[in-house]
Amino acid sequence: MALLVHALEQGFLYGLMALGVYISFRVLRFPDLSVDGTFPLGASLAASLIVSGWSPFAASIAAAGAGAVACAFTGTLSSRFRVQGLLAGVLTMIMLYSLNLRIMGRPNLPLLGRPSAVSATANWLPIPSGWAVLAAAGLAAVAAKLLLDLFFRTELGLTLRAAGGNPRLVQAYGADPKNMVVLGLAVSNGLVALSGALVAQYSGFADVNMGVGTIVAGLAAVIVGEMILRPRSVAWATGAALLGSCLYRGAILVALRYGGALGFTPSDLKLLTALVVLAALVAPVVRGKLKREEA
Amino acid sequence: MSLKLEGICKSFSLPGQRVHALSNVSLSADPEEFITVIGSNGAGKSTLLDIVAGVRHPDKGRVQIAGRDVTSRPAHRRARWVGRVFQDPLQGTVPDLTVEENLALACKKGRRGLRFALGRRRRHLWADALSRLDMSLERRAQELSGHLSGGERQALTVLMATMARPEILLLDEHTAALDPANADRVLRITQDLVGEGGMTTLMVTHRMDQALCLGSRLIMLHAGEILLEVAGEAKSSLQVTDLVRLFHRRGVSDDALLLEATEKTRG
Repeated sequence: MALLVHALEQGFLYGLMALGVYISFRVLRFPDLSVDGTFPLGASLAASLIVSGWSPFAASIAAAGAGAVACAFTGTLSSRFRVQGLLAGVLTMIMLYSLNLRIMGRPNLPLLGRPSAVSATANWLPIPSGWAVLAAAGLAAVAAKLLLDLFFRTELGLTLRAAGGNPRLVQAYGADPKNMVVLGLAVSNGLVALSGALVAQYSGFADVNMGVGTIVAGLAAVIVGEMILRPRSVAWATGAALLGSCLYRGAILVALRYGGALGFTPSDLKLLTALVVLAALVAPVVRGKLKREEA
Repeated sequence: MSLKLEGICKSFSLPGQRVHALSNVSLSADPEEFITVIGSNGAGKSTLLDIVAGVRHPDKGRVQIAGRDVTSRPAHRRARWVGRVFQDPLQGTVPDLTVEENLALACKKGRRGLRFALGRRRRHLWADALSRLDMSLERRAQELSGHLSGGERQALTVLMATMARPEILLLDEHTAALDPANADRVLRITQDLVGEGGMTTLMVTHRMDQALCLGSRLIMLHAGEILLEVAGEAKSSLQVTDLVRLFHRRGVSDDALLLEATEKTRG
């Protein structure tokens, strides 16, 4: 039971990141690797601000803003200066690594005993203590999902969705697809940085290396969710990203707890995650080939 | 003057050579004029439309739309005045948006805000517009446009391109990828919508019969120049065989276009 609650808590907090990855990968079709830098950016900025006395809520919002600005940079590099999307993301990611060390002044910043937006919300909610953190995390993730769904139904949101599928058409109807890429990446990485900020407060520390593999974890969540829900609309797709994130975190917790018996160590996690993503990417291709051979 | 091109030159560099896609092309069109454009592959037809739309910019010359000089404006900053339908039905719609979401995208041509794209009043208007395509699309407004057939999609694209009543409509062989029945249908829809909207239309086509029976003026492009221009009565009395003879006289002989036309007249 405790395992399930923890899986859901983490699933929702990391789910914000999965929503961000959904926007860049699925909506914009932009392979944005900078999330590996913006996730710890959110964590380290929020942690530093909290340590220096900021309210954890204000610190989290500032973190989201910083993530948005950082990745508007990736978007600008790629759309205005024609740096390849992958490379633009990697450059931002590497720059953020140094920047995160600057922000914290050291590689790891503990937050134990400091106020946290997650636990403050949990205490405020009229819910028994064992479930309160889960409720707070769920509230944050579902609120973000609903806001995102609403945004994608506005004129601007619709144009953003169109820019991923058919940039030439967006231009023919009077919007600059380059601006749409920048805007989309900003929203995406704002969510990722917010996720980093909340995860840092939840786990009681920020670490400069906590971003390694963020993109793979986010993709795993998006893909697993899609495989289960097979979404046909944006609202279902964002729901699928959250569901996938919860399942993914659950799988990790199970692997950490029981994997030792099978000879796995926590350090094997990234390998396993990448294999899951790989399997999900390869499966449709293999299935297609098999079908063709049958025919 | 609705559209005015003055001395447009545009060349591209390909490995080892420089291709002059348009050399010193000038053209003016009055409001509501319907001009058909023919020419062989590489004659500069698509480049001409690209330059009007602002997807490409001329090396030399000026582009004026509705009295404004738009030569240096990028495509999205002249979209208000220009609607365009491409040959490929996939290019005119966004496949992962629903039919009505595509329409929402098309009816707003300037800045986009945070207003909801789909409202009850708008839906009503669109259902009306869709029903007039006579393809039962009004009943499929909430389906993904990726599920529509090529003809349905192209009809939707024509509706989208004309909905905001642009000053100029560019049709780039927009029925060439369709089967004959659907091509006729889409063409009829185009004529209806153009007639209502009162747009200046530039229609590129590879079918000489189409170029002759539609519109009030015919332009023949060859190797980046306007080779022939017929309007008014001279155009309405023109036959496909006359066109072929005219081209021969101007020295266009080894032309796929002519072959096709000759075959058509024989058949």
